[in-house]
Amino acid sequence: MKKPEKPIIALDNVSKKYNEYGVVVNALDKVSLKIYPGEFVSIIGPSGSGKSTLLHNMGLLDRPTSGRVLIDNKDTSKISGREIARFRGRKLGFVFQNYNLIPRLTVLENVVLPGLIIQKKQSTLEKKARVLLKEVGILHRVDHKGIHLSGGEQQRVAIARSLINDPVLVLADEPTGALDSDSSQEIMEILVNINKKRGATTVFVSHDMSIAGYARRKIILTDGKIVGDTNRNSDDFNRVLKQIEKKTRRDDHGH
Amino acid sequence: MGISRRFALGELKDHKRIYAIIIIVIALTMTSFMLENAYINYMMQVVDDTTKLVTSDAVIVDPSSNIRDLYGTEPELKGAGEIARRIENGISGYTTSIRVTAQGTYGLGSSGEAVDACTIQGIDPEKDDEISGISSKIVDGRFFTEDDNILRGHTPLYIEIEGPGNLPDFVYGTGEKLFEEEEPYPIIVGATASKIHPSVGIGKTLSLTLSVSGKKSSYATVTVKVIGLYESGTPTLDALMWFMHADSLREIKRYGEISGYDLTIPGIGTFRGYNAITVDRDRGDAVIVRAPEPIHKLNPVGHSEEVREKIESVVPHLKVFSWHDFLIYIAGTMQDVVTIMLWGSILVTLFLCAAAIKYVMDSIVMRKTREIGSLKAFGARDRTIFKIFLYQGMFIGFVAGILGILFSVVVMHLVNYYGISVEFIAGTQLRVDFVVNWLTLLIAILLPVGLSVLAAAIPAKKASMLSPVEALRKGELSL
Repeated sequence: MKKPEKPIIALDNVSKKYNEYGVVVNALDKVSLKIYPGEFVSIIGPSGSGKSTLLHNMGLLDRPTSGRVLIDNKDTSKISGREIARFRGRKLGFVFQNYNLIPRLTVLENVVLPGLIIQKKQSTLEKKARVLLKEVGILHRVDHKGIHLSGGEQQRVAIARSLINDPVLVLADEPTGALDSDSSQEIMEILVNINKKRGATTVFVSHDMSIAGYARRKIILTDGKIVGDTNRNSDDFNRVLKQIEKKTRRDDHGH
Repeated sequence: MGISRRFALGELKDHKRIYAIIIIVIALTMTSFMLENAYINYMMQVVDDTTKLVTSDAVIVDPSSNIRDLYGTEPELKGAGEIARRIENGISGYTTSIRVTAQGTYGLGSSGEAVDACTIQGIDPEKDDEISGISSKIVDGRFFTEDDNILRGHTPLYIEIEGPGNLPDFVYGTGEKLFEEEEPYPIIVGATASKIHPSVGIGKTLSLTLSVSGKKSSYATVTVKVIGLYESGTPTLDALMWFMHADSLREIKRYGEISGYDLTIPGIGTFRGYNAITVDRDRGDAVIVRAPEPIHKLNPVGHSEEVREKIESVVPHLKVFSWHDFLIYIAGTMQDVVTIMLWGSILVTLFLCAAAIKYVMDSIVMRKTREIGSLKAFGARDRTIFKIFLYQGMFIGFVAGILGILFSVVVMHLVNYYGISVEFIAGTQLRVDFVVNWLTLLIAILLPVGLSVLAAAIPAKKASMLSPVEALRKGELSL
């Protein structure tokens, strides 16, 4: 399939180094990656491979040590903190492993929150929030406090919240990491449907291969490097995936 | 409502108990501040009233006088008229009045029996009323009018007796017999005196024995008629301070050109009095000075000192008492000590409250690190996060200030209703009218607001500076 020319987000030689107790850790090592509109991408890899760091850099929550992150063709390394915040609010949607709903707010209030932060009109936001909550199947609990919902329900709300500002990219960090397998499947089906129906470009991180399987494009990250990408070479990808699965199993048995 | 204010309110609700305690403590502290200030303002007003009944912004007296003498025992100020003119011509905007005063005792009815002491301020109804405002304080009867017989054309009768040995000479008033068609001098007395002695009332005639020569032991007895009762707002003052026309007092004190004969009886003394007199309005015991109102009254003491310096530059050899001297004399330095101690305790309490606010907010920032991270991920700017905590500080300070004002209003009413009802002198009730001015109200609001905003600013800055990724990684979401 021919990809459109302009990617939604492009990482160009992005490296991220941490200094932990005097030891320099290369969390990301010259990662280059392009995500195109409408893609549904999973980033997989063993723990400590740099998946979350990659997602954080894509989401402008963290700044790379070197390299560039371009969103909508704009180089974000050259913009101010204020502009970064603006970018995050208007262009990106986030789904977290622990949902991160504000406990004292109702479901509706949680969903409209990112819209209020970028100063959109409340009544418009509420209308839209109800549509989104219906889509994720949680409209019946619109007036409940986030704290009173189950994990799966909270994550549905979090998905609706991530879409309230019509982001160009939805980033989900282990969206099923805190859920049982039934709820995980439900959540992934919701994300898939939203991607199909709304065309919302989605990138999610998962260490669970069965969850990662929901994605049309899969990227494997090991030691801060992209070692497999179904877009580049699917034969090569399957070989790497098998190696990682073997390694993961060995590690699990070892523990 | 902006997102910062919404979240600030949410945080306030979440931590309402601890914040309520802090607010109450600050409010009670501000109540002390309000009460102290309202009481000091009241005291200042009393001093102001008292000062202005006796003098105005400053008073010039003979160098031998002290401040206590201003209540009727000061000697004549030589060249009072000339001094008054020098002040008016030398300092732009300043006005003067020559004051005559006397101190003595009064008796009731024809027996002339002395029953109580009083100080008589002789006032020029035209010039001095502007200063003391007595005409507006009349509660019964009337103020002086042009028809009043303020002059009789002669001095009262005295008898001078040569003191034996080293003792001073004495001059005694001998009682007064009014000539045909003569009327008693008109006098305005304090309403308190009338309450203490019901026979001191409108239309009553009193026998007044006055010290007429400053510190010398000289007395004259005259008959006076009460034409009005005044209330200054300070009952004790009203019991003591009475008002006669300045010219009446000049006549009694022989301040003028005198003609006639004295009768000397060897071995007894000299009878003086019933001498014809033309009152000299340039003579008096003190010169009262009124300065233009300052542009602002934030530093009345500074203004008072400035007035004194100006006057002293014109009359360097005389004694000048300023409004501030009266303040010190009447209110005393004890008030200053109490004020300093109270301010000390207020500031210590406010400091502790500020520390508590900072501590509570620090712990909120710690617990809500992840929430802060989420807000940043949703596009909240550092400033938005900063304002969430700043608004909390502002709210705490504002509510505490308002509560402090409300508490103090309640306490003021309770104090006046139940508390201070002192039986003062014989049967006079002392009422404390707390005086609240705009400056006190402003400080009562701004001080706690400023302090809690400052206390909140540190955790607010800390929260706003959190990197979103670190914030999301660390901390637990508040549950």
